[in-house]
Amino acid sequence: MTLKLTVNGQVREVAVPLNTPLLNVLRNDLALNGPKYGCGLGECGACSVLIDGMAARACVLPVSAAAGHDITTLDGLSQNGQLDPVQQAFIDAQAAQCGYCLNGMIITIRALLNHNAQPSPQQIRAALEHNLCRCGTHVEILQAAQRAVVINAAAQQEALNE
Amino acid sequence: MSKRTLPSQENSGEGLPSQLTHVRYGVIVRPPYYRWNGERFESAHLVSVDSASVASLPGQIDVVVEGNFVGVVAESLAAARDAAKQLQIEWQTIPHEPNKTLKQTLKHSEKTGSEVRSLRYQESQAGVSAQRVYGWPSRMRWGNHPGWVVADVGDYHLKIWGQTTTPLALQQDLASLTALDASQIELYSLDQQPMSSQVSGLGRHCGDDAAVDAALMSQALGCPVAVWLDARYTQDVVALGQAQRMSLKAELTDSEIARYHYRQANSSGEVAAVGLWLSGRATEPAAMPETMPETMPEAIPEVPAGDSDPTPLSASVLSPYVFRDQHLSARLQQPGQTPSSATLVGIQQAFARESFLDEVARDSGQDPVSLRIRHLKDARSIELIESVAKRAGWQVPLKKPADSVPQDLLQGRGFAFAQLPDRHQRMETGVRSAWIADVAVNRVTGDVQLTRLIVGQDDGPEVDTAGLQQTLQERILGEARPLLGQAPGFDEWGDGSDAPERGVEIAPNALVKRDSPAVTQTKTSSLRPAPDDLLTGAELSPGVAVIANALFDATGIRFRQPPFTAKRVREALKASTTEGTAQQRLAKRATGRRWLAAAALTTVAGTAVMAWPWKSTLAPVARPAANLYSAETIERGRLVAAAGDCAACHTSEGGSTNVGGRAFETPFGTLYSTNITPDEATGIGQWSYAAFERAMRHGISRDGSHLYPAFPYTAFAKTSDTDLQALYAYLMAQPAVAAEKPANELSFPFNVRALMAGWNVLYHDPTPFQPDPMQSELYNRGAYLAEGLGHCSACHTPRNAMGAEKSGNAYFAGAFVDGWEAPPLNTLSQAPVAWSEGSLFDYLRHGESALHGVASGPMAPVVAGLAELPEYDVRAIAHYVAAQMQAPTGNSDMDVAGAEQRVASAMVSSSGMEAGERLFEGACAACHVETGVPSFSRASTSLALNTNVHSDHPDNVIQSILGGVHADHVPGIGSMPGFADSFSNTQVADLATYLRARFAPDKAPWQQLEKRITDLRQPHHNNTHSTP
Repeated sequence: MTLKLTVNGQVREVAVPLNTPLLNVLRNDLALNGPKYGCGLGECGACSVLIDGMAARACVLPVSAAAGHDITTLDGLSQNGQLDPVQQAFIDAQAAQCGYCLNGMIITIRALLNHNAQPSPQQIRAALEHNLCRCGTHVEILQAAQRAVVINAAAQQEALNE
Repeated sequence: MSKRTLPSQENSGEGLPSQLTHVRYGVIVRPPYYRWNGERFESAHLVSVDSASVASLPGQIDVVVEGNFVGVVAESLAAARDAAKQLQIEWQTIPHEPNKTLKQTLKHSEKTGSEVRSLRYQESQAGVSAQRVYGWPSRMRWGNHPGWVVADVGDYHLKIWGQTTTPLALQQDLASLTALDASQIELYSLDQQPMSSQVSGLGRHCGDDAAVDAALMSQALGCPVAVWLDARYTQDVVALGQAQRMSLKAELTDSEIARYHYRQANSSGEVAAVGLWLSGRATEPAAMPETMPETMPEAIPEVPAGDSDPTPLSASVLSPYVFRDQHLSARLQQPGQTPSSATLVGIQQAFARESFLDEVARDSGQDPVSLRIRHLKDARSIELIESVAKRAGWQVPLKKPADSVPQDLLQGRGFAFAQLPDRHQRMETGVRSAWIADVAVNRVTGDVQLTRLIVGQDDGPEVDTAGLQQTLQERILGEARPLLGQAPGFDEWGDGSDAPERGVEIAPNALVKRDSPAVTQTKTSSLRPAPDDLLTGAELSPGVAVIANALFDATGIRFRQPPFTAKRVREALKASTTEGTAQQRLAKRATGRRWLAAAALTTVAGTAVMAWPWKSTLAPVARPAANLYSAETIERGRLVAAAGDCAACHTSEGGSTNVGGRAFETPFGTLYSTNITPDEATGIGQWSYAAFERAMRHGISRDGSHLYPAFPYTAFAKTSDTDLQALYAYLMAQPAVAAEKPANELSFPFNVRALMAGWNVLYHDPTPFQPDPMQSELYNRGAYLAEGLGHCSACHTPRNAMGAEKSGNAYFAGAFVDGWEAPPLNTLSQAPVAWSEGSLFDYLRHGESALHGVASGPMAPVVAGLAELPEYDVRAIAHYVAAQMQAPTGNSDMDVAGAEQRVASAMVSSSGMEAGERLFEGACAACHVETGVPSFSRASTSLALNTNVHSDHPDNVIQSILGGVHADHVPGIGSMPGFADSFSNTQVADLATYLRARFAPDKAPWQQLEKRITDLRQPHHNNTHSTP
């Protein structure tokens, strides 16, 4: 069964069983290794991708459910060679220890900002509540998220001015 | 209630012409009584309309009243329908004879023949006289397919978007409605194509009535008005009755027909649209004598034709034959009446004449072809008929089906001939056309298949044989469709919302076996009338008669008015008592059984002895040929199979469809489903239809042994004959796969199949479904599907210790199947927010309801099966189930508010259950808790609304945690991983306890969870249910 997926702006055809998890298709068939395999049960968030701008746990989502939607992985987040403000904020804040969870953290904050450009610290915490990090980098991750809000707003303003 | 559940296209206004922006929606309210009696239109009189009765409804609602025409216009079709229902109208019914409806008239005219046969004309000593009356309906049917009809009336223009087969007649009606010139009236199809002015059917349909309705309302309100045309317009078909009645009379002396009288009893012309009559804008025909007497009316002056002069004096009646002393007459068109198209008049005349000659020939034991040849003088005609008869093998009797083939097909052959004048009204240079058709009539379904058709045509000097044959072939196909169309009924499939596809009901291959090598290239892609595929040629006129004659040959029943719908054929066949049909034998058997059941109830011990009728083996037959059934029947059977979800039980995991072998754990042991592919050795390939039907209705296998009621024949017995026949056709047309099924593992005494005889007497009622006349069509359709094919109660009704479904209050009270709870579908429903008909529809159609969640477990494949069905059928099931639940049509604001309240209060975690809370936060919350981040993979329905969490039994919650929720059946619905390998029994129990406390705080905690989890983890868990 051939499926057409729109991934990072490109239409890709994959021949896989319809109930294959989207994560497996992204990593194995399309070599997009931004999303990570963590728990496989949708619990940790390492596998997160954006679907139509919303966060989605790719490890529990059958690929058929994503067909016809816009899938964006971490690999496709940068625009015109410029990192996404959220990515830049995480680098600026040096918010990585092992880095395995960061895909999910970045994707989740991106989804949050798509929905609410000026989230409160409480809203950021609530958004990240179900993204697990086992290195204990939570403080830096929260700082990065706060910074992302600022850079993102600036980038949007800049885009408006142009 | 039923009217409010509209197919989506009706609801959304989808499919309307895009350039129309301010379309409003109209619904007509017809008088309680109105009809066309053949001469004039009569109806109840409007006394008053109380517009104030709809004033309280939201939105702008206008009531258009003109004469006896009442229309309600609103901002949506649903609003207009609601308002129409609420509108207080007072009618004054005029005294009338209610028995003069179309049906009665039809019956009468069909009877007339036999009655009149005894009324011999005494003055003719030697001759035998015959008299018949034939009819032609004012409306062939309600339309081609359901759809919008939109009118936009301005001061200097009128535009109609809709469907018609008689554009000129429609234009004329609209012109007399609006006093606009015909050039100012533009007709378009819904896809914006201007309509050709050519006639493309066998008569008007109600698309014209709908267009006039829309135009009346549009003119009154000055905005475009859309009317939804669907089977509701059937009432106009009935009310308008016959457009034309043709009386024929002749005497037969020494095989020669003399004193031939042909009279068109009604004045010729089309019957104007209902709206035109009701509004009083139609011109009443001049005063005429009251209704025509059934026998030859003497009031109409006859024009005797000379003995030797074959040319009829009345130009509008044509006959190619030469009879001694012939009288041909037709009433002239009344002023103001819409002229009938010459083509249609020709077809009507040919139908009556050719049917009549066929009747005369068969009554007097003559060959219909030679009788006609004897009365022809035109050498070319004789030559043509002889060559066609020879080519068709007219003299060779039809091969009757051998005994081994199901006896449900009746075969017949008919002949018809016509000669029509050229455009200068000259007969000799006109077209001669001789037809021979073979039909196969399915005596159960009433389906008529044109199995062979040979048409010989003499098209004047220049004959492009291949081209002509090609044209004819296409036209024959196009023409056969309206003839074989279906009328709606409770066991009819589809609401027509998929009608463009359903229009392709009969595959061309099944319909006509092409007899001519010149026509090897035929369009198999589509039967839809292409714009150029129009019924313009007069040469098609014998088409209706030839089918009527072949039908008579096949069935012994004379159809004296088209169309010959499967329903009419079926009813006529049922009414005929010529021979003991299968149904009658079955009915006898069924009544005998009921008597036994009554007696057997006295003692259970006596039951087995009394009800020990030995069931004979039904003879094996060769597998019926795949082309025995029409593509239409097989397609219907596919839908029946989808509704019955045969494959869900008759397919094992990973096995081929319908080869059986799937294990069923029952309290009595393990059963395996059987191979129902048409393999002769291991499947049902050798089953005759009689054997198949006995299994479906009585639970008895072909070899006479009893089947176990795990096979829900208790429900399937309610299926109509037509559907069973179609199902048989479908199953027999599938690929045969050889596969033996494993032997059942049942404990004694359940392994004695014969004991099922006693069980059947006690618990099985094989009477077919009876629609409840007090209920709507939608309800009855739903009941038919849910009680019969859908066998909902097989899972949702608890069974007694003998494995029989309980009745009474226990109907739909919920039960346990395969370790899942099938929740109650009656008032015992535990759903936290009450179900509504709309929610049920969403759940059954899309696998998900916003206020209840997704279908999972064994219900998932059921939803997948329902996806195959027409939307109307799923609506009907939802409607019926809603009635059992006493559920409202839609979700009330109170229900929605209640749901929001529940969701809000479940946002906060329950205290004192740390173990469960930790598990939930870790494993579930990412998808089941709202975090403020929009998520694609989050469960869309809160657990606070989940019926399973609120049930008295934890089974479905445990099953979902262990195995997950896999909604492969409806793409886009999330899937949940199973935690069987991650969680211990204690953890699952902690989690379930927590879910219950947090999301169903008003329910008592579940007890003995760990034990139940242990049971459900067993691959062969027992099927008894847990204690609450």
